[in-house]
Amino acid sequence: MATRELHVVGKSLPRFDAPGKVTGTAVYAADFALPGMLVGKVYRSTQAHARIVRLDVGRARALPGVRAVISAADVPEVRYGGGLKDETVFAAGKVRYVGQPVAAVAATTSEAAEAALAAIEAVYEPLPAVLDLEAALAPGAPLVHEEWQSYTAIPILHRDGNVCNRARIVVGDIERGFEEAHRIFEHRFRTSMVHQGYTEPRAAVAQWDSSGTVTVWSNTQLPFEVQNTLAEILQTPPSKIRVVVPGIGGGFGGKLRVGVEHFAAFLARKTGRAVKVITTSEEELTAAYPRQGTVVELKTGVTNDGRIVAKEGRIWFDTGAFAGSGPGVASVATLVLAGPYKIPNLRLEGFAVYTNKTNCGSFRAPSGPQANFAVESQMDIIADALGLDPLELRLRNIVREGDEGPTGQVLNAVGLEECLRKAAAAIGWSDRRPGKWRGKGLACGWWTTTGGSSGVYVKINPDGTVALNTGAAEIGTAALTGAAQVLAEELTVDLADISVVSADTFSTPFDFGAQGSRTAFAVGNACRAAVADLKPRIFLLAAAQLGVEAEACALADKHVVADGKRISLADLARLSQQTGGGLIAQGTFIAPPTAYDAKRVEGHVYPAFHSPSFHAHAVDLSVDAETGEVTLHKYVVAQDVGFAMNPTYIEGQIEGGVAQGLGQALSEEIVYEGGRVVNANLTDYKMPTTLDMPRVDTILVQHPSLVGPYGAKGVGEPPNIEPPAAVANGVASATGLRVTVLPITAERIALGLRDAG
Amino acid sequence: MSFQYHEPVSLAEAVDLGARFGADGRFLAGGTDLIIQMRRGKVAPRHVLSLHRMPDLDAIEVNGSVRLGALVTHRAIERCESFQGRLRGLVEGAEVVGGHQIRNVGTVGGNIVNASPAADVVPVLLALDAAVTCVGAGGERTMALEEFLVDPGRTARRPGELLTAVRFAVPEGPAATAFLKAGRRRAMEISVVCVAARLTLDATGERCVDARIALGAVAPTTWRAREAERLLEGRALTPETLREAGRAAAAGCRPIGDVRASARYRRLLVETLVPRALARCVERIREGAR
Amino acid sequence: MSKVAVELCINGERHEVLTEPHRTLLEVLRVDLGLTGTKENCLEAECGVCTVLLDGRAVNSCIVLAVQCRGREVLTIEGVARDGVLHPIQQAFIDHGAVQCGYCIPGMILSAKAFLEECPGAAEADVREVLAGNLCRCTGYQKIADAVVAAGRAVAAGG
Repeated sequence: MATRELHVVGKSLPRFDAPGKVTGTAVYAADFALPGMLVGKVYRSTQAHARIVRLDVGRARALPGVRAVISAADVPEVRYGGGLKDETVFAAGKVRYVGQPVAAVAATTSEAAEAALAAIEAVYEPLPAVLDLEAALAPGAPLVHEEWQSYTAIPILHRDGNVCNRARIVVGDIERGFEEAHRIFEHRFRTSMVHQGYTEPRAAVAQWDSSGTVTVWSNTQLPFEVQNTLAEILQTPPSKIRVVVPGIGGGFGGKLRVGVEHFAAFLARKTGRAVKVITTSEEELTAAYPRQGTVVELKTGVTNDGRIVAKEGRIWFDTGAFAGSGPGVASVATLVLAGPYKIPNLRLEGFAVYTNKTNCGSFRAPSGPQANFAVESQMDIIADALGLDPLELRLRNIVREGDEGPTGQVLNAVGLEECLRKAAAAIGWSDRRPGKWRGKGLACGWWTTTGGSSGVYVKINPDGTVALNTGAAEIGTAALTGAAQVLAEELTVDLADISVVSADTFSTPFDFGAQGSRTAFAVGNACRAAVADLKPRIFLLAAAQLGVEAEACALADKHVVADGKRISLADLARLSQQTGGGLIAQGTFIAPPTAYDAKRVEGHVYPAFHSPSFHAHAVDLSVDAETGEVTLHKYVVAQDVGFAMNPTYIEGQIEGGVAQGLGQALSEEIVYEGGRVVNANLTDYKMPTTLDMPRVDTILVQHPSLVGPYGAKGVGEPPNIEPPAAVANGVASATGLRVTVLPITAERIALGLRDAG
Repeated sequence: MSFQYHEPVSLAEAVDLGARFGADGRFLAGGTDLIIQMRRGKVAPRHVLSLHRMPDLDAIEVNGSVRLGALVTHRAIERCESFQGRLRGLVEGAEVVGGHQIRNVGTVGGNIVNASPAADVVPVLLALDAAVTCVGAGGERTMALEEFLVDPGRTARRPGELLTAVRFAVPEGPAATAFLKAGRRRAMEISVVCVAARLTLDATGERCVDARIALGAVAPTTWRAREAERLLEGRALTPETLREAGRAAAAGCRPIGDVRASARYRRLLVETLVPRALARCVERIREGAR
Repeated sequence: MSKVAVELCINGERHEVLTEPHRTLLEVLRVDLGLTGTKENCLEAECGVCTVLLDGRAVNSCIVLAVQCRGREVLTIEGVARDGVLHPIQQAFIDHGAVQCGYCIPGMILSAKAFLEECPGAAEADVREVLAGNLCRCTGYQKIADAVVAAGRAVAAGG
């Protein structure tokens, strides 16, 4: 990357959508409304596992104001899903979790819709349910999907009964590795189901037009994927389905896949009216796409001087009644279990397991916090046992530039050592136990920048402003501001000159979606490609105007300059519109595949981390020895972001990601009892408030990626990964108590200390 | 959630409407409990009587004793200058109720009538031997707050009766109050356990003359730890004595286990927080609280 | 279920609304008046996205009945900027990178506005205390607190 002075990218410029958001004029899907719109609501199962004996919708249909009541009988018999097609719009024949949709209603008012729900009668015959991982994996366990073998699935998945995927990494010879080890450590960890907690509920408005096209306004992160899924479900060509994202109030992975769009579309088709469906807090906490709870078993062999020679790990994901993201998450998990460490012998497995609970999905760094909690907790246990400083143990094993990852990928731009050293210094690591009941904890990890393609259209307007047309949705990360900064930099205009149109499957180019920390990376690169496409034509036009050679032209300060002459982009755009259709361009980007050793993986949907990021977190905390309450004094993150496209918003991602991570670490869990969620409200699902969050000190480390725009790497997901382990290690340092279950509540600490004497 | 709405503008009108509708009517103060319960379908009154236009029910009167009108908000209690001294526990209880939006509208009367065993201000009122006044068709009656609280969500209020005020004497001599709350997060929390303490010491400041310990979320109603109180009276207050009181309170309460905490942890919290609340009272008395 | 006439004063403007008594101020704002700047989420006064000012005090509009607002002043996010000029709090949120998805922001701004009018030079700890009833999932609150503290200094200086 040539060093040159940057004017726009790399600067902490204000995001372009801030004014609309601070004035309340920005419209989110939950705000969107059409005249004459009906209210849609979903009727849900009250049983964890049961045969539907009878479903009676007649009384509901007859109520005043009710315009439609639909169920499985009214929709095509289709099984949909990602790599594994096991989901149906409504339960047919049997229900598999409390909260599963069984029917839906559309009515003129909210009250009429509620009355309709109350008037639906379902008679169930309960079946034996499997309510946790142990039950689901027991020999002879009831099958959540008896017909699992008949489901369409990508061939790479290893499925068997209640296991809907087993992904595996094998490197070297694990038995020999353990023989070489001087000490072997075996531990078990458990993590809870947690919700993304976006403040805007999932919402969709659907309306059909006379040409048989349905437009769906939704807060999905993946409009093109939703378009395809709706096409499958509605049995309508994708070209007849338009998905538009007006605005999203937080996604974090929970708004990737169809949530309510299909209900809105079916009800709109049935009634001939626009229909809006919006979820309640209760529906979010019982029937959304939360992060899977897990059990992790780790067996690690080390030499006496702290080199890891063998690691065997298994992580089971309780993925609920439908596979959702389970199979993919189980794959990614194996890379997190390996950790950013050089380990010659590995046998790592991830399992996605069906249970009769809500089907789980993707939540910011899926598998990250769960697997990292186990790995990084065990690292500290090992350090302690060997009498080594936990920082030193890590430094002896971490990957460095040019090393191999667990699946054989060659790692470059490895900023991990710098992250660890800087985080440790910032927390004052040399004084690890500054006082009684006070301690510091460290954790590190690595993560990916997800691939997938992005396309953009770019247009220069006759006034010199620039239109950026992208299929990506802005979920709040400011990724599109980052991409616009890249575009502005390349065109030598200001960020304020760029206006962005986004996320409309009809009129914007394809984008793989706002997921996997990929948006600024991929859309930014697509913008660079668009400018590369446009520049020759701009220079040709300018050359003709200026009487110079095209080769002599360059862009500077909103002009083309050559041989001491210049002409503005605005003038060129105007000219081009008059004589040549305008200055418009397209750009597409897909990251080159990352080479890895296919012999090392099985059932693996995600065998390498692309443009990987590296990160280290450190926390300084105190524990109230009697109540177990944790007070966080200081929290530090050092993250290798490759290149900081916009430092302020990257800090924002880190601060917010840590908040979510600390929620998972200390207070959040969706609690099931007998197959039912018992804390399905925001009173008892405990997300951190202003008073629970410490300040987060961010250190941006930059080891430029070979692929990302200006060397950037994905930044959004990683901050969610290390907090649980950092906290667990801090608590252990402060109290001597090792908590291996998430969340690490005050109760667990207090009772743990009591029981330990 | 459908009802007929009324806005009485005088006590007489409120009492009249209350009598007319009886159990079919509910008085609406801040709405922080009632509206939510109505939305969840837990209660469905046919008549809602909003009190926000009632004059005089939001007054705080302090003159040897304190009279809080039923519509005094938690915010008003938080900010009342007179409560900074011996009544500081009252402020500590009020300032942790929900978030500031809740405290702006939530009232002490509404809080009492809602009768959550986990209420925050109620334990302090109990520790101050508060009495409540209700007005109904049959006239006015006053009873001890302790008697008024019957069960979770149930009080001795008769259908149609309006709780108008709560009264307590300002503790005299070397006295102080304190309030502590435990929860899973630091705001917007329903207490896992809360403790209110009131102590009066003798002139030397060494011995306890009078003690009140009231606990939230460890019994069907806010609960007085009488055995712990008795244990303290007449004794010198050493850290060990305070811990003894904590153990007695923990042994005597009847917490349940629920999604917020196990019974065992609640007892542990009682054992820990009672001595801390008492110690804080001692500290405050020694610092010369007014 | 019969409707009642309710005259509301929203952002200094009078609106005559016909509504059933059980409808909340939040519903009337968003559905009847099309003022969707005030957001909906939990509907149980737990998250604060519905915060508006009622007679200058921050309240959760999801638990206030519209009928209770007769003769009272309601301020929503749409009324915070004056004549197209952003309030110092709004500007501070932009300047400090405090806005991510933005859904909690209207509620945050209203909570902050009421508070800064009382305590302009407030310190971070007090700001966090006041904003504890407004949940944010994107920012971790840090830049929001910074923005409000900065806006407070601007307000104290006579902004």
